[in-house]
Amino acid sequence: MNRIEVKNLRFSYRRGEEILKGMDLTFDSESTAIIGQNGAGKTTFVKLLKGLLKPTEGDIFIKGKNTTEVTVAKLAKEIGMVFQNPNDQIFKSKVIDEVMFGPLNIGQGMEEAKGNSLKALELMELSDKVDENPYDLSLSERKLITIASILAMDTDIVIFDEPTISQDYFGKIRIKNIVKELAARGKLVITIAHDMDFVAEISERVIVLNKGEVILDGSAEEVFLRDDILKSAYLEQPNITQLCKRLGYDRTFLALKEFLDYRLAEN
Amino acid sequence: MAKTLSLYVERNTFIHRVDSINKILYVLVSVAIPLILPYKFVAVLLILISISFLLLAKVMRRVIPLIEFSVIILLSIVIIQGLFHAGNKTVAFHIARITFYKEGLSYAFTLSMRVINILLAFAILVLTTKPSELIEALVKKGLSPRFGYVLSSALQIIPQMMSAVGSIMDAQRSRGLETEGNLAVRIRAFFPLIGPVVMGSLIETRERAMALEVRAFNSREKKTFLNERQNLRSDNVIRLILFSILSLSIVLRVLL
Amino acid sequence: MKKIIVENLKYRYPLSENLALKGISFEVEGGEFIGIIGRNLAGKSTLCQALVGLVPHFYKGAYSGNVEISGMNVLENNISELSKKIGIVFQNPFTQITAAKLTVYEEIAFGLENMGIEIKETIRRIEYVLHLLDLEKYKDRNPFELSGGQMQRLAIASIIAMKPEIIVLDEPTSQLDPQGSEEVFKAIQSLSREGITIMMVEQKIEKIAQYADRVMLMSDGEVVDFDVPQKIFLRDDLLNYGVQAPVFTRVCRSLNIKNKNTGLYPVTLDEAYELMVRHEQNRS
Repeated sequence: MNRIEVKNLRFSYRRGEEILKGMDLTFDSESTAIIGQNGAGKTTFVKLLKGLLKPTEGDIFIKGKNTTEVTVAKLAKEIGMVFQNPNDQIFKSKVIDEVMFGPLNIGQGMEEAKGNSLKALELMELSDKVDENPYDLSLSERKLITIASILAMDTDIVIFDEPTISQDYFGKIRIKNIVKELAARGKLVITIAHDMDFVAEISERVIVLNKGEVILDGSAEEVFLRDDILKSAYLEQPNITQLCKRLGYDRTFLALKEFLDYRLAEN
Repeated sequence: MAKTLSLYVERNTFIHRVDSINKILYVLVSVAIPLILPYKFVAVLLILISISFLLLAKVMRRVIPLIEFSVIILLSIVIIQGLFHAGNKTVAFHIARITFYKEGLSYAFTLSMRVINILLAFAILVLTTKPSELIEALVKKGLSPRFGYVLSSALQIIPQMMSAVGSIMDAQRSRGLETEGNLAVRIRAFFPLIGPVVMGSLIETRERAMALEVRAFNSREKKTFLNERQNLRSDNVIRLILFSILSLSIVLRVLL
Repeated sequence: MKKIIVENLKYRYPLSENLALKGISFEVEGGEFIGIIGRNLAGKSTLCQALVGLVPHFYKGAYSGNVEISGMNVLENNISELSKKIGIVFQNPFTQITAAKLTVYEEIAFGLENMGIEIKETIRRIEYVLHLLDLEKYKDRNPFELSGGQMQRLAIASIIAMKPEIIVLDEPTSQLDPQGSEEVFKAIQSLSREGITIMMVEQKIEKIAQYADRVMLMSDGEVVDFDVPQKIFLRDDLLNYGVQAPVFTRVCRSLNIKNKNTGLYPVTLDEAYELMVRHEQNRS
């Protein structure tokens, strides 16, 4: 089972400034989005899951292993994470070598690593860029390379921190499909995102963080229904949800098609 | 507080308000005088003056770590000169079977006083002057604005680069890179860490260069300065006093 | 009066084989708000750079055609001269901070000092932009201590203080959180109200629909279409250019709810809501 258990998690960088104020959560194989304004503690939380930070209080178990008892490098076999800024990781002069770096580190053989990397690059539609220097490509392409570099590690748990930054419509579609496919393959996917339309489309579950606390946790429909609570955390409903709410519908529509189907049935 | 590479301590005192060019002059004069007048009491006197200025500027506490640091150097001067100074003749004292000589110790004392003197004079400059003000003052005196920009931006950009190293380390460890362990492990971790630092700062430098261009950085107009310091009468008085003291010491040297 | 005239602009970056701009022509009137859309690498950023003179003065390369900004020829004037007429704000707020200044107040002054603006006028302008961009609270802060949204507003303030007639915004909110983006969009609206001509590249299509008087659709170094948002978002081939029409337009299109006066579908939440309510009333 791909399970993350978070028990009474508290964290502070400095004494007296608590960033996370007691969280109890369980994640299973599903696609979860974490939303909240900057400073709510989202990135801190996923860094804790990744073992990059250690809890000040409480415990995190990744597939039964306590994050305080294994090194980050060891944990990398179980849990992959795509960071916000691709320039923080890219150092190889060829796209393929960059993508193979992680797989080789966690013990995949040369052939296996290469196969996984080529497959991941194909998913990101970067097959024609395999031998190019990543720094000759655009920022949005570099971001897709970093996503490929994590996919190639084939971990059971994948975390995305703001995957859609600087992506256009096609890039977003690609990332959307990746998240859905990973979830369909039984992986545990956690995505931090600001784009509510994107969140509505990719997530089975949505968690709202505000000032280090979970203020909402439920299905996307349940969470986006509570626009009063969302507003208090400076968040908005997806565009289609806003329109339908104003039109007086008492249920949450998360996608255009959903709304059109409902109207058709209504008439 | 955003980090800057600076020792400046914010206080509202007379010393802080003195023109930064005058503070540079003060450093030069107090370095020069003990060389012109090589008497022990001169150096001691200058030290006392600098200490009183530091007290007036309410920054004496920040000087203590600087002195502590220099104690190691001063001790080594005392030991080396006390033991091996060329003119050593008169025995001062023994420690175990090692003999210290008066001439050497006296020379070491003079030298130490000069070092402390320089240190304290510099401390007044760096603790009570904003680096940006100092650089701006130099630009006004003819330093190239481009060079001035490089100096003052480096003070802020270097700490920012250091904090970028943290996120790079996180990203690479997340991909299974071991960064802790024996030397071989650390050497292997070097390129994955330094590569993104270098590439990242190149990209940022280009972006920042564009941002500077569109803010008329290369304008041919005569630059103005927001912090146009009123030339106070006290500035000129201070400058006059500094020059008089310097001239006086030269005259004394010639006469004595 | 025409604020921007671009005639057959062609440009190729040094070391590149392909033209980044393949003969672009258009005109913009004073006070207009223009949205620029299209997929990544369509040439949107290159066009922005060509408007402010970074192309061809900062990036060399092969350049032909004519760009006139408020009567000033871009090729014949350097970037500093052009900055009196046109300013630009980039994606990354962090690299737009000069790093040479210790406070927000001094940061805004940087460009004015370079232009040789006298101190009294400099102070007047700083006070004005601090107010306009709601940054008064932060004037003594170190720029690096600001949040992304505040930093980006500072970047805008620093440009506006130079009193350009036109401001180019190249995806100004793409790296900000929702709250920061909202702050920046509000700021941009207030610039527009001040009569400043705006050229904004943006992926958030609902925002373009809300603010833009006209929308420029770019693809592969060319301007495909340049028209009012209602007409641009009506195009059947829009998706091919990496742009999806606002969800409000798509709803009304599926339900065939049009604005009776113009015969076009709505593009904003408010308009879509009004038309849909009226539609329901007419039905019942």
